[in-house]
Amino acid sequence: MLEYQIFFDYTPMLLTGFWLTIKIVVCAIALGIPLGLVLALGRRRNYVIISFLSTSFIELFRNTPFIIQVFLFYYVLPFYGLKLSAEYVGVLALAAFGSAYFAEIIRAGIDAVPKGQLESARAIGMTEWQAMKNIILPQTLTIVIPPLTNQSLTLIKESAILSTITVHELTMSGLMVQGETFRPFEVFIMVALLYWALNETIATIMRKFEQKVKKNRKTSFVLKLDTTLKKSQSIK
Amino acid sequence: MNANFLELKGLHKSFGNITALNNVSLNVSKGEVIFIIGPSGCGKSTLLRAVNWLTPPDKGEVWLEGNQVGSSSSKLTIKESRLLNDFRAKMGMVFQQFNVWPHLNVLENVVRAQMVVAKRSRVSAESKALKILDEVGLNNKIDDWPEYLSGGQKQRLAIARTLAMDPILMLLDEPTSALDPELVGEVLKVLKRLVNNGMTMLIVTHELGFASEFGDRLLFMDGGELIEEGNPKKILSMPKTKRLESFLKKLHINSFKH
Amino acid sequence: MKFDISYTLDAIPRLLDGAFITLQVGILGFILSVLLATTITVAKTSLNSKIFNSILAFYISFIRGTPILVQIFLVYYVLPVFGLNLGPFTAGIVAITLNSSAFVTEILRGGLASVPNGQFEASKSLGISGYVLWRKIILPQTFITSIPPLVNEFTMVLKATALLSLITVVELMRVSQQIYSANYHPVEVLSGTFVIYFLICFVVSRSSVFLENRLKVKRA
Repeated sequence: MLEYQIFFDYTPMLLTGFWLTIKIVVCAIALGIPLGLVLALGRRRNYVIISFLSTSFIELFRNTPFIIQVFLFYYVLPFYGLKLSAEYVGVLALAAFGSAYFAEIIRAGIDAVPKGQLESARAIGMTEWQAMKNIILPQTLTIVIPPLTNQSLTLIKESAILSTITVHELTMSGLMVQGETFRPFEVFIMVALLYWALNETIATIMRKFEQKVKKNRKTSFVLKLDTTLKKSQSIK
Repeated sequence: MNANFLELKGLHKSFGNITALNNVSLNVSKGEVIFIIGPSGCGKSTLLRAVNWLTPPDKGEVWLEGNQVGSSSSKLTIKESRLLNDFRAKMGMVFQQFNVWPHLNVLENVVRAQMVVAKRSRVSAESKALKILDEVGLNNKIDDWPEYLSGGQKQRLAIARTLAMDPILMLLDEPTSALDPELVGEVLKVLKRLVNNGMTMLIVTHELGFASEFGDRLLFMDGGELIEEGNPKKILSMPKTKRLESFLKKLHINSFKH
Repeated sequence: MKFDISYTLDAIPRLLDGAFITLQVGILGFILSVLLATTITVAKTSLNSKIFNSILAFYISFIRGTPILVQIFLVYYVLPVFGLNLGPFTAGIVAITLNSSAFVTEILRGGLASVPNGQFEASKSLGISGYVLWRKIILPQTFITSIPPLVNEFTMVLKATALLSLITVVELMRVSQQIYSANYHPVEVLSGTFVIYFLICFVVSRSSVFLENRLKVKRA
């Protein structure tokens, strides 16, 4: 029933697509997180226009299917004279989509930092951005890294939709192999397993990282206590 | 003494229908130590926070050394907000809840704003920080993390952090209220040193003993208004207004309860 | 070229027809997925079987770890290999149900964890068990605490239905493609479609608060 030969013959093609999926998602994350930060800070601003624009962007991209965002980017960019290859359009669309979710994660992280932290930074003369960079954002890191990772996993999965605008990523490769072999079962199981493996690998690394952070806190607590005790003894 | 060191002119601030400041004006001379007392919600914290524009007043003006802080309207232009940051660096603010920065160790808490705001080099910022941490008695804690400090140590760190900016005015918002009684003394000791060094200070507090010993002037606020002001010893022993009298009475009853 | 809004306006009646199908598919898929997930949740708690739990864990991990688009292709292209020719509409509903019920199962797990253990014990001591216990006592509490994530999941389902256009289900996205492939004005037509999707999802996601309040009042 299974045709094992397909696994051997078409694996290189699928792996090429898989590699493009990884590259596209990495680029989209690299663009999306800074954009998400800008949107999160924009949403907090007192200027009505800036906060309205940021909020609208976030809500529009969170409340529409990714596939229509992809098609809009695909048709709107050339409409206004910006001709890009499908890969670049895909990266931009995925980054825009991701940034709306990244923004909400970062905003929640900022809100979780006690208000006095921002006040003390502003009271000592820091600008809003200096206070964010030096005082607030570093404190949000442990809060936002797990949800940002989860959202990045979502981007891997959503990137499959870029096959609809002929980006030769993993799903597109799968569709092409299917077109040549007419063996959908073998092909889509392989495609699914590749996505699954990537997803599980990152999720596992993340879990390990979280455990380490928790553990490190405890060990560093012991170390700090130890050095403090030693110091106080040497003073006496 | 320069009577125009700090001038507050007709400050107004309301939150919804609660009036926190109602036409408050005040002149402070250089080196003057002013204590502000009053029931909770009387606007004394808002007054301090209006001085460095952390809570922009709805109306009124703040002048420091002949220069206007913030703006005459509650919205700032870009230039005004840039100037405001320079003013804030000169006005050290100390909070009831310390607000030390938990992700930075003790030394870095004092170094960071010097580098970011005052643009000092790390070397000079660190040497300044070490000197000030020594003055506030935290020289043996420089590598520690704030979470392992006691409340009194945290507050001394917060004071050191603002002193490193070479402030010409200190705004202290109930600096000892969040501390266990046995830790109040160590913070007051640091504040006394500042008084002796001639620092101009506005202090919101409930420590009446401290106020009458070190204050040049005592202000009593209620309902967003300045009700009474004068020499602390005089005012506390012989209040002129009914409101201050009943406030002091309540305070004493409360202190008997403890 | 200039953006010509008349193409958007002309498309709206047909787009609304498409939106109606989108809503039908979304609601049907979501109801089926909630039913499936509820069955799974009850079975998991009552059976307490290791084999069942590991199959369930595998299912959830697979669904969460792979793109829904690939899951739709799997159902649409693979089931016919086994002689099960469902047609695009049914295949789409099956795929969405299988996908969403994994997420709803996770949501219900969280909701169930917030029902105090005493509720089970008290019911047992009163002689309430089985169907009545779940139907009258445990599930209502589970669902009410799960309203916000369930509403969120419903918007996810609505957004996922747009992918069914790729297996030729004629819903909003497909209608929009049909229109612009005839009039060659994709930007105008897609913009209108975008706005319709936004309005549907935005209203649904905002209904969470409203629903919660309604149900709380009803309980009290």
